[in-house]
Formats: sequence, C-alpha cells, structure tokens
Amino acid sequence: MLEGIPVLSLIILLPLVGSLIAFSLGKREDLAKWVALGFALAAFILSLVVAFEFVVDPYSAPSGTIESYSNGYQFYESHVWIETLGINYMVGMDGISLPLFVLTTLLCLLSIVFSWDTKKRPKEYFGLMLVLEVGVLGVFVSLDYFMFYVFWEIVLIPMYFMIGVWGGPNRDYAAIKFFIYTHIASLAMLIAIMAMYFEAGIETFSMVAIAEESVGFSRNIQFAIFAAMLFGFGVKLPMVPFHTWLPDAHVEAPTAGSVLLAGLLLKMGGYGLIRVAIPSLPTGAEDMMIVMAVIAVVSIVYGAVLCLAQTDLKKMVAYSSISHMGFVLLGYATLGELGIVAGVFQMFAHGLVTAVLFMMCGVLQHKCGTRLIPKLGGLAKKMPIAATLLTVGFLASLGLPGLVSFAAEFMVFAAMFFKWGMWVFVPIGAVAITAGYYLWALQRSMFGPLTDRIDTSHLKDVDWYEGVPVAILVVLIAIFGVFPSLVFDRIWPAVDFALRAFGGG
Amino acid sequence: MTVLSMLEPFLPQLLLVVFALMMPALDYIFKDKRILAAVALAPLVGYAVMLVAWTLAGVWEPSESEISLIEVDLFSGVFALAFVSVGIIVVLSSPESIRQERNHGEYYALILLAVIGMTVVAMSTDLILLFVGLEVAGIASFALSGFSKREKRSAEAATKYFIVGGFSSALTLFAISLFYGVSGTTAIADMGPAMEAMFSSFDGMASVGTLATVMILAGLGFKVAIVPFHMWAPDVYEGSPNPISGLLAAASKKMGFAALFKIFLVGLLVTKADWDVAVAVIAIITMTVGNLIAVSQTNIKRMLAYSSVAQAGYILMVLPIGTEYALAGGLFHVLTHAFMKSGAFMVVSAMGARGVGESLNDFKGLRTRSPLLALAMTLLLLSLAGIPPLAGFASKFVLFSSAVYGSLDPGPSWLIWLAVAGILNSALSLYYYARVIKYMYMEKGPEDRISVPRLTGVAILFAVVMTVVLGIYFDAVVELCQQAAGGLFNP
Repeated sequence: MLEGIPVLSLIILLPLVGSLIAFSLGKREDLAKWVALGFALAAFILSLVVAFEFVVDPYSAPSGTIESYSNGYQFYESHVWIETLGINYMVGMDGISLPLFVLTTLLCLLSIVFSWDTKKRPKEYFGLMLVLEVGVLGVFVSLDYFMFYVFWEIVLIPMYFMIGVWGGPNRDYAAIKFFIYTHIASLAMLIAIMAMYFEAGIETFSMVAIAEESVGFSRNIQFAIFAAMLFGFGVKLPMVPFHTWLPDAHVEAPTAGSVLLAGLLLKMGGYGLIRVAIPSLPTGAEDMMIVMAVIAVVSIVYGAVLCLAQTDLKKMVAYSSISHMGFVLLGYATLGELGIVAGVFQMFAHGLVTAVLFMMCGVLQHKCGTRLIPKLGGLAKKMPIAATLLTVGFLASLGLPGLVSFAAEFMVFAAMFFKWGMWVFVPIGAVAITAGYYLWALQRSMFGPLTDRIDTSHLKDVDWYEGVPVAILVVLIAIFGVFPSLVFDRIWPAVDFALRAFGGG
Repeated sequence: MTVLSMLEPFLPQLLLVVFALMMPALDYIFKDKRILAAVALAPLVGYAVMLVAWTLAGVWEPSESEISLIEVDLFSGVFALAFVSVGIIVVLSSPESIRQERNHGEYYALILLAVIGMTVVAMSTDLILLFVGLEVAGIASFALSGFSKREKRSAEAATKYFIVGGFSSALTLFAISLFYGVSGTTAIADMGPAMEAMFSSFDGMASVGTLATVMILAGLGFKVAIVPFHMWAPDVYEGSPNPISGLLAAASKKMGFAALFKIFLVGLLVTKADWDVAVAVIAIITMTVGNLIAVSQTNIKRMLAYSSVAQAGYILMVLPIGTEYALAGGLFHVLTHAFMKSGAFMVVSAMGARGVGESLNDFKGLRTRSPLLALAMTLLLLSLAGIPPLAGFASKFVLFSSAVYGSLDPGPSWLIWLAVAGILNSALSLYYYARVIKYMYMEKGPEDRISVPRLTGVAILFAVVMTVVLGIYFDAVVELCQQAAGGLFNP
C-alpha cells in the first residue's frame, strides 16, 4: 500500500510544515496548539501505517528479494544531496529504528496534548516541539552520516529554547549547560565520522557502505574511532561520568520538555551506538567491551543510589533515567544478540515509562505547586487518579513483572549472566535499591496522613489533557509488558543482521 | 602588446575606479544621498553578476594575460565574489547608518577603492602588485574607519588602525625585499624553486628565508588579526561606523588570507616543513584566545571582533595542512564567513540606525521589539557557531575534516589536533553566541518596537538567505572551491 510513496520523508516533513505554520500564526497564538496537534497526529497515524506495513523479517526472505529493501532497510529512499562530498539524502527503517520511530511520534503527540494549557508564548512553544520531532525522527531513519549529524544537532536548538524560555528558576544555567555539554559530545562524534569517512576512502557518507569498509580498519583506528563515538553517544545516553547535564536540564525543563528529553533524546545516544558504532567497528567494540560494562554497571548503581538521596520527585526520576539507561549500555556491552536486543527494547520501555513519570511530576507541580517529597503526603485521598497513575508508573519503572520494563531488564540480566556469570548480582542489587526509592517516595508523597505543608483544600485531581496521555501510556505499558514479542520480533532480525560482522552474531 | 589588451583583465577594476572617481562629484549633484548608494551599488552588482555568469558559463580558464603580474583564475574569482558581496551588503546598509555624516561621496568612493585593492590582491601573482593591492585597500580602510568624524572613538580607531596598518605594511615590504634577496624574483610561483636553489648553494641563506617567512607572517598576520597581532581589531571594529566594521571583519581580513594562501601555499610550499608546526600552533592559539576573550565581552561589536579573531584561527589551519582539500575548505569558509559576519554587523548597524546601542543589554528582549532582526541574528550567530544546517557548519565541516584527512596516512598525524582544537573552540564559541540569543529571546527588554531600516533590512536578508542556502545546498560551491584550490596548486 505504500509502494512508491516516500513515506518516511513525508512523516519527517509533516511536523516541519506544522512548525512553520505555527511560527507564522501572528496574533492568532491560540491556534498554535491545534496546528501542532493536527500535524503531530497526522505523523503518528502515518507512522502507525508504517509499523503495520513493516515486514518483520526481510533478511530471511528468498534471495533476490532482499535487494528491494536495500540491506534490510525498508521504505528506503536515496537522493543525491551534495555530490562533491558524497553526501546523500538517504533514509530507511529496520527493526531497530521502527520502535523508536513510533515512540517518537507517539510521545510528541502526547506531549502536545499534555501541554494544552500552555499560555506563555504558545506558538513558539508548539512550533519548537514540532522542530524537535523533526530532528529526532530524522536521526532514527538517517542512513547517511552527514544527514544523521545534521538531524542530531537540530534537536539541540529547540531543546535549548524549551529549557531556557519555559524552564524553572535556574533555567539559564541548565539551558546553556545542556547545549554546550551535548554539543561537545556531538563534535567528538563528528570527528569520528570524519575519520571513518576518510579512512574508508570510498567518498560516500553512506552508513551502509562505510560499515562494509570499516570492519576491516586496523585495530588501533577502530579503537580510537569507537572511543570517540562512545563519548559522543554516551553523553546523550547519559553514562556516568558524563551525566551531570541531565539532572540540571530535567529539573529546569518544562514537563513536556522533560518527557521528550528523557523519552527521546536519551534514546538517540543508545540508537547511535547500535546503528553506527558497534556494527561498524567490531574490534573497537570488543576492545572497549569491559569499559562499557563497567561504565554501565556504575551508571546503574550510582544512579540508583543518588535517587535515594533526592527530595525533589522530578530530580529523582531524572536520576533514575541514568540508572535505567545504564541497562541499555549493559545490554550492548555483552556484544551478544540477546543483550543488544534487550538494550534496544529497554530504550523503548524506558521511553514509555519515563514519560509517565515526568508527566505525573508535572501534574503534581501543577496542582500542588511543589514536587518536594517532604512537603507532599497523603495525596491519594485528594487525587485518587493521579495516585493510581503515579503508582503504576513507579511499579513499571522498578521492573514489576507484567509491565514493560521487566521484560527488558530480565533479558539484560540473562545476557549478562551468560557473559560474566555471577557479576550479574551487582546490577540486580541496584534493582532492589530502585524498588526501595520508588516505594519509599510513594509512601511519603501519596499515602499516609494528608500533608499540612501545602494548601490542600482546593486540590483537584488530574485535568483531562493530563490524564488522557498518561492513561494511554499506562495501557501501552501493560500491553507491551504482556506481549513484549510485538516489539521483540521486529528488533531481533535487525540486530541479528547488524551483528553479522561479529561472525554470525 | 597594446595598452588596451594589457588592461583587459583589469576591466572590472577600471569600472570600479571610474565610479569611485565619479562619486565625490555626484555628491554635489544629488541631495538625496541614497542615490549615491545606488550609484555605488551599480558597479559592484555588475561585477558580482559577471563573476556568477563566468562561473555558470565555466569560462575560468586561466587567461593568457599579457602581463605576468596577475592571473584571473577561479581562486581570485571566489575571493572577488566574497569581497563584492560584502561590498554590496555594506553599501546597502550605509545610507541609513551614516545619515548624520557629511561627504557621502567620498565614503562610497573609499568603499569602492577598498574593494578594488582587495580584488587586486586576490588576482596578483607577484609580490609587488600584491603589496600595491594591500596598500590600496588598507589606506581606503583607514580613512573609512575614521569616517564618523564627530565621534572620538572613531578617530581613535582610525589612528590606531593607521599606525598598526603602517607598521604591518612595513613588515610586509621588508619581508618582500628579503624574499627578493633569497630568490631573485618577486613572482610568487617562481619563488619556491629559486629559493631551493639558493639555499643549497649558499650557507646561511636559509636563515634569511626563515626571517622573511616570519616577517611576512607577522605583516599579513596584522591584516588578518591572528594572535599576537590582533590587539587592534576589537578597538577598530568598535570605533568604526557599523557598516565599516562589517567591511573590515568580513572583507579586509579575507584579503589578508588571499595573500597568505598565495604566498605560503604557492611560494613557500617547498619550505613547508620549516613553518608548518609553528603556524599550526599560532592557529590554535589564535582561535583559543579569540574565543576566550570573546566570552567576556559585553559589547556586541567587540564580541564579533574577537569572534573574527577566532575565525581567523580556523582559516589559518589551511596553511599547515596544506592540501588542496584544505584550501577548498578555507575558501569555502572565507565565503560563508563573509556572509555571516557582515550580516551580524548589519544587524548591529540596523539597531544603531534606530538609536539602539550595541551592548549586550541592548539586545534584551529583541524578540518582541523586532522579531525579524532577532530571528536574523539568531540564524547568523548559530551559523557562526557552526550549527547545522547553516553555512557556517558546512564550511567548518569541510575545513575541519581536511585536518582529519591530512592526519591519516601518509600525512603527519599531529594534524588531528588542529581538528580537535577547532572543534573544542567551536563548542566554546557556542557559549557567547548562545548568550546573545538568550538575551534576545529569554530576557525582558523595553517595550517599544524597533522598525527595521529598509535598505539595511535588504542587506541582512541577503546575508541570511545566503547563510541558509549555502548551509542546505553547498554542492556547487564546494566544487567551485575545489576547482579554485586545484587551480592554485596545479596551475
């Protein structure tokens, strides 16, 4: 049904057009959210069509037919862009990009709904959100390094403005720190890209073509390029010790900004590692395997311990992201099929769960005027729906079986056990801490006697535009928790194919 | 050889001279000074159209010029395009900026003369003519920087510029005489082989050659404001009338690079091993110092001046890398920087024309006071910082990647540090560019609106459009720069 339609370009184009319309609304600022909603909804629906049209396993198709997918990439498009330098406009999708792509259109749509009552400079707010969507979508389907980098950097600008204009009291510092910190990381990645381009010497920035050359690079070169890429992607992930921009950015960002930051921007780092770094530089990845594993475990444990110490609910969720994204890196570090599939799935799961958590933090901030745990308490009596949603979110995040994170984390542990045996108990210990800080925070903020530190007499439960997006996410968390294979089946063949450089995966 | 055929390659310059000489006379005829700008614009636009037409028609065959002093090749064409574009932008925004001043005729005449000098530098293949070009452009610029006669700081700028410029000219001339001594020629292309022959037959000549190299680097270093010869730049840029600051930063500086490229990559390529590390270190110091000092500036023009110093450091990378691809990147960056930097100065100029100051605080809340100016400034600054998909990113991409390319086998591997330094500096520069954006979009300013002066607005629009277009589609330009670079290396 999608034969001959450049559907991926169309999906990227929709929010771009939407943002241009939103920016040029002039005095009719109240229309901005409708424009944003319309275009984000259109992009989401189209991405669902793509998801249903997606061929689960193009690699085992009879030989000869695989050509039509171009190396397993579906909905493939290629146009010459800058001929002199070998830069092409090249997009395509495989099982790794599909879940993240749909996650992007979904979270952008829900964030727009969640921000329905934004009164401050709405046309810029919604316009920037759509620009951000363009960037993230572009990253997830680019098959050309130059394009990939352009989209990667485009994401920074709307996020800088979102934190800087609509953020909390310390927004100036947080915005500039976010911008520069992640920009430095991007630039390290840029050097790595340039080195790969010239070392391959085939005068094209095509990821697929370069990957075929780069697996044959000498050990030292692979190591150096991989190290630069690990830094570039790792800052976004974020991995300890390059995580310090994240709590600042999250605490100051507006709720929708946090949702997109944690739900999508962090995933860009994890996506880059598996799309580019690991398959293209196998020996480099093997040499860095232990480093990645150690950083991953440290991120998991350190993030969890920091969560215990937080009194700000949002800051706690932010630190929990560091811990949970550590699982992604840990899965990758095993360099085995199971671990990497688990890592990709963990990104998808974390995207859903963390969006719920940040949205609920936003709700509390909105209704109670504070997110400080000591000031809250017993809110379940006044806000039963909010308490329910927050509880489900916390339970999902701590890895309750039957909810989406459990499947991912369990597989990461399994992969690690096969690789490193009993060391697996270190990150498992962190999961106990995770359960600890979530339940403790829940106990103090939602249950027990009603707080008298804030005025609770006029406390209302969630508004529709806040409740609906969270409820949708909660339903999805349950569905994918029970049927993780809906996503697994699509990730697996793609990872299997990507790892062919490791001798059959 | 008739006089006419001798002058043929100079036709565009002659046209500019005629217009320049006409200008003061026209000043007496026309009451409306905007007509003067229109007249001054005519030869510039004509020259630009001619350059573009030549490029499209592909007629940049090195013309068999009957005088060996110049060569109208693609290399000179790219530079001329940058100079003329900046000239157009500057002239367009001038009527509104220098309204209060007198002697408009002389002002435009001087701008045209400066452009003539710059293009001559880009075309010359001989040190003597190159020096003449430098002086023509230099003397015109001294006078222009002091044009706001009632302003003390403008006079100060002119004095400072004149003294420093004179000193740098003396250094350059001294270097040229030494080069003549060690090579017996002033033709840039013949210098290298002649010097090699001289060095191998006379002991001690090599040290004279080194002295000359240092002198020429210092002399031209003042022109392009590389550290430690940069001190004059912020004071002069700050004191000059706003459009002239744009001319100095975006065009005069590039003239210095035209000369540096010619002398170092054609004449001195044979002794590259002697100077490449030193120049690389200077390049890194220049970009770092420029960016570090720019961070602490509260005056936008001074900030842009230091940012220019940093950009000079980036372009200087071309010399130690010394490959065709690097030169292509350098030319591309020269071109894009001409648009972004002159555009940024024109934004300051537009605000100045409406009586708004040029300090960081004056940019507070520009979003509400003039959304278009704020948007233009944002795009230009992000481009200067090298954020895709804007022109500054594209040219930096080519430039920095040439350092990575040069560092791979068989090149010297230390070249990679040039790319690393450039990239770290780009991140550093983002801090002060983003701060201006923060002031414009995130701070509250006065409520009154600023209407954009019409002509300056057109100039800014031109610069912004070029910045965006060259960022999204730069295939043709990169190819052009590669051809130009190839032409310089393999004549």
